[in-house]
Amino acid sequence: MRIIFCGVGAIGSQAAVLCRNLEASLVFIDFDRVESKNLLAQAYVKPSVGKNKAEALKLQFLNLHGVKTESFGVRITRDNVEALCGGADLLVDCFDNQDSRVLLSEFARRAGKPLLHGAVSADGTFGLVRWDERFTPDAEETIGQATCEGGAHLPLLGLLAATLARSVQDFAKQGSRRDALVNLSSVVPTSGT
Amino acid sequence: MATLNITYDGMSADVPVELERPVTDDDVRRIATELVRSGGVPGMHLTGLSNEAFRYFVVDRFRGARGEERIYLRPKVPFGAR
Repeated sequence: MRIIFCGVGAIGSQAAVLCRNLEASLVFIDFDRVESKNLLAQAYVKPSVGKNKAEALKLQFLNLHGVKTESFGVRITRDNVEALCGGADLLVDCFDNQDSRVLLSEFARRAGKPLLHGAVSADGTFGLVRWDERFTPDAEETIGQATCEGGAHLPLLGLLAATLARSVQDFAKQGSRRDALVNLSSVVPTSGT
Repeated sequence: MATLNITYDGMSADVPVELERPVTDDDVRRIATELVRSGGVPGMHLTGLSNEAFRYFVVDRFRGARGEERIYLRPKVPFGAR
């Protein structure tokens, strides 16, 4: 099984770490580089600073036992989405912007690929895990809305990443597709099969 | 009887609501505002809650395992910053 994590920042890097037990190839795609401030909320360590995030995460997985990984340090665009994601058995959307989520969703629907989205609200108090067949991206409240950077929202991010990883694991093992609403007081399954 | 789940400022709670007719998303936002102000939502009694508090919130509607109506009022995701 080939599982592609699209975006390995705060959500994607932590969810990928929690999927390391799966008998699967884990593929990381991200054009961004690790900054010092990322070390607070993302699964990176000091030697990763300055490296491409996808490459850095692949390097860190080499410290684990028997995990197969690949990395692509590029931005997903309309021109390369087929080449990058066409071989996926499962796509996991951990992007931080709506345009990329929509691009990936359009590709997945066109190509018939299973796609799972994970996202948090701008204030970092709420998260959503939702399969693409029930996914409609919310419109921005304001253009260029601030993100929840730094470590202030780490408990919620951790809970969301764990819920996302659980949904990936359930899909890999049973083919189930469960959604959830996530906040600091509960993880609420909302629908799915 | 429907269940309204409200997530606000990191808190979340279920509250049963009697709905005599189909309600719009704006109705849900108004009902939630009044419920939170009045203390009708467990753990979420905010008397000074602004009329605009839920302005940008999303209303999700689901059916529970026994066909019961569940309405979720939640913050928007994903964020749209680039």
